[in-house]
Amino acid sequence: DPVLCYVVSVGIQFENNCEVGVFSKLTNAYCLVAIGGSENFYSTFESELADVIPVVKTSIGGTRIIGRLCVGNKNGLLLPHTTTDQELQHLRNCIPDQVVVQRIDERLSALGNCISCNDHVALTHPDLDKATEELIADVLGVEVFRQTIAGNILVGSYCAFSNRGGLVHPHTSIEDLDELSTLLQVPLVAGTVNRGSEVIAAGMTVNDWTAFCGSDTTATELSVIESVFKLREGQPTAIVDDMRKSLIDSYV
Amino acid sequence: MPAGRKRPAPSPFAGFSPFARSLLFSPASGFSRLPLTNAAKPHQDTAGMPPPPPKRAKQAEPSSDMEEEEEERPSSDADEELSGSDGDGDSDSSPECSSSDDDDASQEMETVQADFAFFDPKPADFHGVRLLLKTYLDSKPWDLTGFVDLVLEQTTVGTVVKMAEDEDEDGEANGGDKSDDDGDLFGLITVLNLGRYGENRCIKDLKEYLLAVCGDKDTKEKLKSLLEDKASTVGLLVCRRFVNFPYEMVPKMYDSLFDEVSWATEDEPTQELQDSFRFKQYLLLVRILERKTPPKQKAKNNKDEDEPVIYPKLEDEIFRELSSWSFTFPIRAEQSAQQELKNYKEMGLVMCVKADVIPKFRKKLEALVSE
Repeated sequence: DPVLCYVVSVGIQFENNCEVGVFSKLTNAYCLVAIGGSENFYSTFESELADVIPVVKTSIGGTRIIGRLCVGNKNGLLLPHTTTDQELQHLRNCIPDQVVVQRIDERLSALGNCISCNDHVALTHPDLDKATEELIADVLGVEVFRQTIAGNILVGSYCAFSNRGGLVHPHTSIEDLDELSTLLQVPLVAGTVNRGSEVIAAGMTVNDWTAFCGSDTTATELSVIESVFKLREGQPTAIVDDMRKSLIDSYV
Repeated sequence: MPAGRKRPAPSPFAGFSPFARSLLFSPASGFSRLPLTNAAKPHQDTAGMPPPPPKRAKQAEPSSDMEEEEEERPSSDADEELSGSDGDGDSDSSPECSSSDDDDASQEMETVQADFAFFDPKPADFHGVRLLLKTYLDSKPWDLTGFVDLVLEQTTVGTVVKMAEDEDEDGEANGGDKSDDDGDLFGLITVLNLGRYGENRCIKDLKEYLLAVCGDKDTKEKLKSLLEDKASTVGLLVCRRFVNFPYEMVPKMYDSLFDEVSWATEDEPTQELQDSFRFKQYLLLVRILERKTPPKQKAKNNKDEDEPVIYPKLEDEIFRELSSWSFTFPIRAEQSAQQELKNYKEMGLVMCVKADVIPKFRKKLEALVSE
């Protein structure tokens, strides 16, 4: 059952940081959570996901910004060259065997900022190494497109998409939205998270049945997210429906 | 300033292809900032809200030369944040972006002409103010968002320091990127009445936190009295800014604050509100660095290592001298990895300063800056 996850009263925060997508990486097959921060952060993921997919605590290159450094889907997980041997082994041990975990030698080492993907398609930084592009296609089993989003080259930062829908930088033009939507074959919406932040992928993380958003995310933003990722549970209220109509202007 | 506090500028763009560099520096892309570990973020594009008419004219700052560093960060959370400041070259007064320099070889720090100005806080400042306040109470989760909202709502007393851009100016072809929000916010000063806002969750969290970190029993009694029975006469003085904020502006920030406080006692619409600014004492929560171990030898070349305490904000030393009481407590969050500071431990410092020593404080601060 699709469910939208956000705990407004406690808030999903990592040490007063609403950037959920910086400290975690969520796919349909596994979830990575950064070490450190309060147990609340980890337990929020665990309580929602642990029955279905493994939730793995880790660091990458000794840092907590794991969501920005790695990229993955149900087929694979790509890690930057800064990943230590212990971290690599730990991840291989904890992640399901069918997921290929690979450390790659790409100069643009913040893979999570440079690459965005679901289980079928990936968007990458226009300047990514050709070898990396091939690895992405191989390991993640996706078709790769070099793209920008609203003029930004860090495509991994400015969009988040699952196999059901996607949210992109608020200033993405209608033409770009249409083009991206065609490439990705999912409906897309331009919007924000965490009260107006454009760095979508930093403020939230999503897979096909759950999304986690930072505690600053407004009701309006949540409503948009629920809609485009098709996470709504139960009957929407009339008010929310009206809000939704006025907000969603591009639905392919 | 203590020597060695500035981080050396990393080699700019050494690893980037000409293509990436051209993208980053092209005016159309809206980028004008050197990236931090591939995590470059252009300045925010938000619809600028019309500023509310200021209660009284803010002091505009004369232009000051600012040594532009590639990283302007208040804390070690730099890697985790994607925000950056901008200089989009739209108006005459905005800084020239350092795009014209030779990236390949240059390791020097650029001097950038920058105009700063003081503004009333407004809702669009949310992200910038939140960034400055993120480490206010260590890493313990609290209602930070509520606290930021509180600061932004109190427009009559409180100042944010930003680039002096004309906020009415039309955006350029790059999608109307008129930014006056988090990318640009360099400093914040405000004072919040602990009684007036006592019911707000953030203030409750804050009071709880201060009582929890206070070790000494007697001081705790004094603190408790301040936070409870005396709360309506206590102002929480919050001053946060980036580490390399030009120090010449700091006395002006405090001047602007204390002036606004005194104006508020006349200008606020109700007697109750006017009284809420008649503070008898100020409570401050700041960070200092304490030397970890006593020096092994007296003679050292580096003056810093002799110092038992380093005050990142110089005025905090003055406040501490003039305070009625104060206490320190250890900070649990990740400590800065700076080499020069490896012998120092970050501590929190809470001080109670009587309102009637403020004129003395202002004089001493002025003297400090003019030397």
